[in-house]
Amino acid sequence: MIAEHARFLGLLAVGVAAFAAVPSLGGDYAIGVALNLLMWIALTQSWVVLSAMTGYVSLGHAVFFGAGAYAMVLCFGSLPFWLSVIVAGTATGLLALIVGYPCLRVRGPYFVILTFGLAELVKFVVINIEAALGQFGRLLFGGPGLAQIFYVVLVLAAVSVVVTWLVRRSRFGAGLRAIRENEEAAETLGINVARFKVLAFALSAVIPGMVGAAMVLRTTYFEPLDLFNPITSFTIVSIAIIGGGDDVPGPVYGALFLVLLQEMLWANWPEVYMILLGGLLVAFVLGVPDGIHGRIAAWRRARR
Amino acid sequence: MSLLELEGVGRRFGGVVAVDAMDMTVDEGEILGVMGANGAGKTTLFALIAGNLRPSAGEIRFRDRRIDGLRPDQVNRLGIARAFQIVRPFAGLSVLENVAVGSLFGTGRERSIRRAEERAWEVLEEVGLAARAADPAGTLTLAGRKRLEIARALATRPRLLLLDEVMAGLTPVEVSQALDMILALRRRHGLTIVVIEHVMRALMRLCERLVVLHHGVKIAEGAPGEVAADPGVIEAYLGRVRE
Repeated sequence: MIAEHARFLGLLAVGVAAFAAVPSLGGDYAIGVALNLLMWIALTQSWVVLSAMTGYVSLGHAVFFGAGAYAMVLCFGSLPFWLSVIVAGTATGLLALIVGYPCLRVRGPYFVILTFGLAELVKFVVINIEAALGQFGRLLFGGPGLAQIFYVVLVLAAVSVVVTWLVRRSRFGAGLRAIRENEEAAETLGINVARFKVLAFALSAVIPGMVGAAMVLRTTYFEPLDLFNPITSFTIVSIAIIGGGDDVPGPVYGALFLVLLQEMLWANWPEVYMILLGGLLVAFVLGVPDGIHGRIAAWRRARR
Repeated sequence: MSLLELEGVGRRFGGVVAVDAMDMTVDEGEILGVMGANGAGKTTLFALIAGNLRPSAGEIRFRDRRIDGLRPDQVNRLGIARAFQIVRPFAGLSVLENVAVGSLFGTGRERSIRRAEERAWEVLEEVGLAARAADPAGTLTLAGRKRLEIARALATRPRLLLLDEVMAGLTPVEVSQALDMILALRRRHGLTIVVIEHVMRALMRLCERLVVLHHGVKIAEGAPGEVAADPGVIEAYLGRVRE
C-alpha cells in the first residue's frame, strides 16, 4: 500500500518534471503537442471519476469545457488569469451539482443521451445569450502567453491525476464502484447513492471547466460552436475506452495513443485519421474491452 | 422485547395487493421463518422492511423508531441488512472488495479501506469464502454467491438480518452447510434473523417461530409443529379436501 503510493508519487514527479521541461527545450510545436496531451489527460481523468467509476457514462463533458471557457470570457479583463480559472472551475462544479440531481435519476442509455442533450442545450443557450448581447464570437487579446497557459494546464492535469488516484483508493471510490456494479445492492448496503453520484458528477466537472477556461485563451477567440463541440465529449470517451479501466493509467495511455496518432496522421492524411479512429474504437470495444491498461495489467500478471 | 414491529403494513401495485394489513413482530435474538407459495408477498415484505419499497399503508418500527419511508441506505445504517433472493454480487469487483464495501458503509462504517478489508477477511473466514477472496465475484458458483450475499450483509454489522431464500437452488449437502453457518453466525454475533425459505426442512431446523403468508395475507403464525398442522396452511398449500 505504502510502496504503491511511493511508486505513484515517483512516477507523477517524473511526469510533471518531463512536461515542465518542454517549454524551455522545445519550440511552439512541441509545446502545442504537449499541451494537447495534458488537456486530454486532465479531461479524461475527470471523466473517469464519474463515468468509469459509477458506470454513468457522460457523453456531454464538452459542456463543462465550454462553460468554463465562457466563464473565462465573462471574467476576461476584470479578473487575473489564475483567478478566472478558479471561478470557471467553481462555476462548472456548481452547474454539475444543479443538473446532476435530476440527470442522475436515469440510468444506462437514457443518462448517456441526457448528458449529450444537456451539452447541446447549454451550447445553444450560450449562443443565444451572445446574440442577445450583440456578440458574434469574441476576440480575447492581451491574455497570457502559450508557456503560461501550458503551465496552468500542466498543474490541472497533475491535480486530475491525483484526484483520480485518491478517489479510486478511498471509501468514496469504493461506493462509486459498488454503484456501478449494482446500484440496488449498493443502496441496501448503506450507501447514499444519490449523494455519491451527484458528488462524483460535480467532482468530474471542476477540472474540465478550468481546462476550458485556460484553453480558450490559447485560441484567443471564443466561438461557442467550437468550445461546446460534441467532438470533445466523443474524444474523451474514446480515450477512456482505448486506455481502459477506472484508474489513473487508462486515460494516460489513451491520451498518449490518440494524440501521437493524431500528430502522425493529421497533418498529412486527416481523412485517414478519422477512419482509423473509427476502426480503432470498434476494435477496442469488441476485442479489447479492458483497453490498453487492462492488457498491460494482464500481461504483467501473466509474467509474474 | 420486540426488535421489529409491523402494524397494518400493506403494499399495492396498481390493483394488485402484494401485502395486505400485515401485523408482525420479530423478537430480539430469535430466528423467524416466513413461508408461503410463490407470489405470496414474502419478498415484497422484505423490500418494505429494508426500504427498497415504501408501504402504501401501515407503520414499521425498528427499536421503537419508525423506519417506513426511510431510504434503504438509512434503514441499513440503523442496523437492518438484507440478503437478496436474486443474488446481486458486484461482479466486477473481487470477493474481498464486495465484502469490504459492506464494512465501509452500513452500521460499521469503517473509515479506512485497510480496516474494512481486515474486517472483510474475518467475515469471509466465517462464511467459508476466504480462499476465493481475490477472485472476481462473477466467478463464484451459485452457492458461493449466496454466501457472498450473506457475507456482504453481515459486514455492515446489522442487528437484524433478512435472508431471502439463501438456500434455494443449493444441493442437500450445501443446504445443510448453510444451516450450520447461519446458526453459528447468530450465536457469534447475537443476531436476530428473519428467513424466507421454500426448503421446509431448513425452516423446521432453523426457526423457533413461523409466519405463513398467502396472497399477501398472514394466515398462520406459531411454532413450526403447530403451523404445519394448521388446517388453513394445509388448505393454502394443498387445496381444500373435497367432501
